[in-house]
Amino acid sequence: MSETEVPPETRHSSYRPADRVRGPIVTHPFPLGPARPPAGPARTPAHSAQRCEGTGACALACPTQAIDVKGKGRGSSFRLDLGRCVFCRACVEVCPTGALQARPDFELAVTDLRDLIVMHGSPRGSVAPSVPERMRAETQERVRRLFGGSLALREVDAGSCNGCEVEVSALAWPNYDLERLGIHLVASPRHADGLLVTGPVTVNMRLALEKTFRATPEPKLVIAVGACGISGGPFRGSPEVLGGVASVLPVDVWVPGCPPRPEALLYGIWLALGRVEQRLRRGELPDGERTAPARKA
Amino acid sequence: MKEIPYEGDEASVAAVALPAIRPVPTAADEGKWARNLGLKDPTGEAARGPWTGEVPRGSWRSVALSLRPVLQHRLATLWGEDARDRVRVHALWLGGSGTRGVHLYASLPEGSLELPTLSPEVAPALYFEREVAEMFGVEFAGSPDTRPLLLHHRHRAPPMRGEGAAPEADRSRFDFAPVEGEGVYEIPVGPVHAGVIEPGHFRFQALGEQILDLEVRLGYTHKGTERLWQGRDPQKGVLLAESISGDHSVAGAVAYASAVEGALETPSLPAPVEAARGLLLETERIAFLLGDVSGIVLDVGYAAGAAQANVLRDRAYRLLESLTGSRLGRGTVRVGGLSRPLPTLVPGKIARELQELARGTEELLDHVQGVSSIMDRLRGTGTVPLAVADALGMVGPAARASGADRDVRRDRPYGAYRNEEVRVARQDAGDVEARLRVKVEEVREASRLAQAFLKRGALGGAVSVDGGVPSVSGERFGLGIVESPRGEFLFAVSIDHGSLQRVHVREPSFLNWPAIEYAVRENIVPDFPLCNKSLNLSYSGFDR
Ligand code: SF4
Ligand code: SF4
Repeated sequence: MSETEVPPETRHSSYRPADRVRGPIVTHPFPLGPARPPAGPARTPAHSAQRCEGTGACALACPTQAIDVKGKGRGSSFRLDLGRCVFCRACVEVCPTGALQARPDFELAVTDLRDLIVMHGSPRGSVAPSVPERMRAETQERVRRLFGGSLALREVDAGSCNGCEVEVSALAWPNYDLERLGIHLVASPRHADGLLVTGPVTVNMRLALEKTFRATPEPKLVIAVGACGISGGPFRGSPEVLGGVASVLPVDVWVPGCPPRPEALLYGIWLALGRVEQRLRRGELPDGERTAPARKA
Repeated sequence: MKEIPYEGDEASVAAVALPAIRPVPTAADEGKWARNLGLKDPTGEAARGPWTGEVPRGSWRSVALSLRPVLQHRLATLWGEDARDRVRVHALWLGGSGTRGVHLYASLPEGSLELPTLSPEVAPALYFEREVAEMFGVEFAGSPDTRPLLLHHRHRAPPMRGEGAAPEADRSRFDFAPVEGEGVYEIPVGPVHAGVIEPGHFRFQALGEQILDLEVRLGYTHKGTERLWQGRDPQKGVLLAESISGDHSVAGAVAYASAVEGALETPSLPAPVEAARGLLLETERIAFLLGDVSGIVLDVGYAAGAAQANVLRDRAYRLLESLTGSRLGRGTVRVGGLSRPLPTLVPGKIARELQELARGTEELLDHVQGVSSIMDRLRGTGTVPLAVADALGMVGPAARASGADRDVRRDRPYGAYRNEEVRVARQDAGDVEARLRVKVEEVREASRLAQAFLKRGALGGAVSVDGGVPSVSGERFGLGIVESPRGEFLFAVSIDHGSLQRVHVREPSFLNWPAIEYAVRENIVPDFPLCNKSLNLSYSGFDR
């Protein structure tokens, strides 16, 4: 458009870029500071063994078969897989005894899948032990040395419903601003230190995911995002999906959610970097203080 | 012999000069046409549904082709159904405001799964037919394109027949349409893109900076969702409906729930439940459309504007979260109502937030249109003329930006929209700017509607219909059609003895995807992202 053809609405424009960039700071401090609690009804199911009477109503209501109740009455056993959970609250609503309650927790990312399993009343010894504390600490230390607290991630959608994409792209919005943490979503796997993978890994995306992984230079991390990325989520059981990122790649961190809120993703990325402690242990969350303290890079 | 008017005869000159005005067909015309064909005329609640009937396969084409000029209906969807010893192919044709639509089906016996193609005359039929062909093994005689659509691998048997076959190791062949000539080169893009977007493959044929042709290959996110529904409890199916395209989860859930409610003949929901669904739908629309606004201004390099839109968008998601506990509003809509009442927040506060969101969006547009370097990129870019939009059967804001006057909320009002007038936004230019303007206008209208639903008692109140969802015997069929932020979101559900027998979903993107292949022609390669963002097509919605 030449100078003489300026559209009429431009001539008396009040547009000043500076007006638009000034304004209140909208960036939430988390994970450098405390998290804003999620608004609205809480959604993370928590189970109390004392109150459970083994009615099995939760298992029947769950749309992803995340719950398994064996036996009836007080002696029954209860198993909940947060890797399959889509945080729909259906189980909480049908539980007649109040044994299932919803909590607002979102820092649920883990480095060991077994930590996502809530298990009550099972015979001793039937639960595989999760990674020993000493090994966890050593791994975290190594990762910190390798990446120095900063990370370049390539996002790969391996067949998600795009709900997870909404939240991953939100990380770049001013509200979450992950670049302030030294974390970058980069355009090519060649520039990346790791992959952030969403979706249940469809048969049709398998090859592209494998190639993207191979194109990422060593050393590299893989973060599996969402119920889909962990277990296939709502699509588990379909012959057109492989049922989670681990069916193709070695996964370092698992971030539950459907989708995980942006803060949950930030927590997961920091967990991968060894900058926060994992809170969830064998399905149990510590009571009291909600946010894990950040560690220096 | 035909009489030729002589010059000077006023009356006959006028009669010749005036173009023949074809009246818009009404519900009465539709009824007459349907009765003529011998279609069923249901009564009661079902009378809101379409005229339905079987067509012998010999007249499948002639009926379809006579329907279009007479009723001006468009092909909304076409799907297959496995009926043990036969395959049924259904087609749903929808018309303008007040009409009921026409649902035709043909039965194909095992051993001769063949039907004449509609695609040479009815453009949207092509994708539908390619899908039915690969999923059910139906052959569409005379089809100009028989390549697979969603499946990238061979299957021993069609996946939607009988037990259904799983994909095998060997990939099936896919040939892109070649373009030849001196200086023509090909740019392959995807499936893994540079941004945080869904996977799909774009094959550009370019000459210098100019795009000569684009072919899109999808299917990368195909999850076999329609098959997963089969045999499930309808209530548990809501999660899959939300996961067709997560960025409009609520619309998916409401469309699915109303289809199931229709099939089960659920009595109409209490007004506060309908209002609550309306409030969630419109809040979701605001968040979604703000994403489009942000994407458009980002792709012309105006990062500050995009950031501004994203800050607003986060507020909209936060609002949805305070209503449902989920930022995308998931897990709240259920068959027969809601999983729980929306929290009793202060309606005045929510109304103020809704006003703020609309005001902020309009302010942003105000600023953007004052920057000539931005408007220069948007104007005349990615143009889809009305004739093309109509021929492709496009829906939603993308169609309205080309001048198509269609919005489910007004044309086939459902739920709370039955008592609320919807002002349909429209532009004529069909370019990126027009799409931006329509979207901003729709944010304003969504904010107004959401506030109206607040006044109708969307917060607190009832959760579901009294007595719950009835369990009905026998085979039932229901349609659910909702105006999602992308446009007409459609579910066709059959229920047999209380469990899902067949669920067909047609996300709006399925109709809109071909538009991008048209829109980018003769545009420059760097404007592709702009065309893409302004049409905002869902890959997962297409692939399922
Ligand atoms: S909240 Fe999780 S465990 Fe409970 S019903 Fe929903 S998916 Fe199942
Ligand atoms: S985890 Fe949930 S939101 Fe994420 S891709 Fe899967 S279904 Fe969608």
